[in-house]
Amino acid sequence: MTTTATINKADLMPPPVAEIMQTRSMFIGLIGAVASVAGAFLAPESFYSAYLTVFMVALSLSLGCMSILMLYHLVGGAWGTVSRRTLEAGMMTLPLMAALFIPIAVNLPRLYEWARPDELAKNTKLADIAHSYLNPSGIASRAVLYFVLWFAMAFLLNKWSTEQDNVDAIGRSTLRFRALSGPGLVIYSLTFSFAIIDWVMSMQARWISTIYGLIFIAGAALSTYCFVVLVETILGQRKPMSQYLRSTEVHDHGNFMLAFVMVWAYFNFSQWLIMWSGNLPEEIIWFLRRLHGGWGVIAMGLVLFHFAVPFALLLSQRLKKQTTTLVWIASLLLFMRLVEIFWHIEPAQSLHHDTFHISWTLFAALFGIGGLWMAYFFRNLRARPLLAVYAPQTLRLLEPSHE
Amino acid sequence: MSATSLENPIYGLMAEFDTPQELLTAAEKTHGAGYKQIDAFSPFPVEGLADAIGFHKNSVSLVVLIFGIIGGLSGYLLQYYVSVISYPTNIGGRPYHSWPSFIIVTFELTILLGGISAAVGMLALNGLPMPYHPVFNVPEFARASDDKFFLVVFSTDPNYDAARTREFLRGLAPRTISEVPA
Repeated sequence: MTTTATINKADLMPPPVAEIMQTRSMFIGLIGAVASVAGAFLAPESFYSAYLTVFMVALSLSLGCMSILMLYHLVGGAWGTVSRRTLEAGMMTLPLMAALFIPIAVNLPRLYEWARPDELAKNTKLADIAHSYLNPSGIASRAVLYFVLWFAMAFLLNKWSTEQDNVDAIGRSTLRFRALSGPGLVIYSLTFSFAIIDWVMSMQARWISTIYGLIFIAGAALSTYCFVVLVETILGQRKPMSQYLRSTEVHDHGNFMLAFVMVWAYFNFSQWLIMWSGNLPEEIIWFLRRLHGGWGVIAMGLVLFHFAVPFALLLSQRLKKQTTTLVWIASLLLFMRLVEIFWHIEPAQSLHHDTFHISWTLFAALFGIGGLWMAYFFRNLRARPLLAVYAPQTLRLLEPSHE
Repeated sequence: MSATSLENPIYGLMAEFDTPQELLTAAEKTHGAGYKQIDAFSPFPVEGLADAIGFHKNSVSLVVLIFGIIGGLSGYLLQYYVSVISYPTNIGGRPYHSWPSFIIVTFELTILLGGISAAVGMLALNGLPMPYHPVFNVPEFARASDDKFFLVVFSTDPNYDAARTREFLRGLAPRTISEVPA
C-alpha cells in the first residue's frame, strides 16, 4: 500500500483529445440530427427503418458496454481494469437511447405490420398476436420497464465506480459490484431478448426464432470489444493510458473479439441450419426475403466480412497484440455490425419493393445518432480519471507484478 | 570438440541470483552481450523474462493450425464421401451434397484434432516428460523451485568460452557461479 499515496488523480485524467473528439462528434451529430428531422418529413417511408437500424446499433453498444462491465465484475482480469471507464462511459449513454426511442414509439405503424389496423383487418392470425402481445400499450409499457431496469443497473455500477476515486475506498469491499452483476447479467439477457423481439423480430410478426435475441447479445458484446479497441487507439498513444496499457491487455481484447466473432457465427448458423433443415414455409420466409432481390449479396458479405475474414485475421497473435493493427479489424467489424442490423431490418420493410435498396436517410440517422452518442460518451469519459483510482484492481495494475 | 570436453563434458555455466529483478537484468545483459543459447529458471513466472532471453514465439500455434485444418477437411470430406459417393440417400428431397448439415461434424473434428495436437505438440516441442536434465547436477539448483533465480549459458553457444564466460557472469554480481556437468 506504499504506492497508494503516490497516485495522483489528475495524472489519470483523459487527455485533451477527448474534448476535441467530443466537440467534433457533437458537430457531426447536430448536422446529422437536422438531416434526420428533414428525412422524417421528406422521406418518411424510408426514414423510420433507417432510424431503427442505427438506433439498434447504438443501443447494442450501450448495453454491450453494460454487460461486459458486469462480466468484468464477475470474473475480473486486467483487460477489464484498463477498459472499465470506457465501458462505464458507454453504458451511461442509456438516457440518450431512452430519449431516442420516443420517435420509434410514436411512429409504430410506419415500422410494424401489427400496428396497422388495415393489416389486422386482413389477417386474423396477425390480429390475434396483436391483441395478446404486440400492441402499442404493451410495447410502451415493456419499453419503460426495459429502460428503467437497464438504467437502474448502469446507474448503480457507475455510482459505485465513482466512489472508488476517493481515497477512503481503499480496503472497502467490492462485493456489491458482484452482487449486482450476477443477477444483472440474467436480467440483461432476458430484457434485451424481449426488447429485440418487440422492436426487431416483430417486424415480421408471424416469424419466430428462439435464438434471435442471443444473436443480438453476441453482436452487442462483439461491438463493445471493437469499440474498446477504437477508444484505446485514440487514447493509447497519450498519457495516461500509454503508461498502463500493455500489449497483453490489447491481446486479450483481440481474443475476446475472436471469441465473439465465433459465438455470433455459431448462433447465426444454428438458426440457419435448423430452418434450412426444417424447410417450413413460415420459417424460411425470413431467409427468402433476405437472400433474394440483391439481399443475398449482403448475406454473403456478412459471412465473409463479419465472420471468415476477421476470424482468419484474429488467429494471428501479431495482429492482436497492438492497437495499430487490431483497430482495422475492429473498424471492419463495427461496420459489419451496421450492415448486419440493416440486413435484419430493411428487408422486413420492403413488402412492396423487395429488391435491395438503400436511402440517404440511413446516413442522416447514422451521423445524427452516432455523433450524439459519441459526444455523450466522451462527455462521460472526460468527467473522471481513466482508471477507478483506488479500486483494488487498479492498485494491482499500477504496481509491477514482479515486485 | 576437444579431447578434454569429451572426457568431462560441460553443459554450461550457471549463475544464481536472489531476486527476479536481478535475474531479469542479468538475462538482458547476457543476451545483449551476444549469448543467444541461454535459459533462465525461476520459482514463478517473471514478466518480461521470456523476452529478455530472446524467446519470442513457439510453434505450438502452427501445429494446432495445421492439424485443425486437417481435422476440418477430413470431417467434411468423410461426410461428402458417405453422402454423395458411397451411400447416397434421399432425405426429404434435399441435395446429396447438403453442406449446411456437414458443418457441425466439420467443426467438431477441427476442434478435436486442434485440441489433441495442442497437448501432444506442446509435449513434443518442450521435451516433457524429461527424466534427466543436467541443471539438477548442481546442488544449489534445488532452490530454483523455492526462492532462487538462475541463469544458464549453454556451452553450445558460439561465444561460449569457459574462462571468458565465467568472467562475464561474475560481472553480473551473482551469488554463485557453477559449472554444470552434462
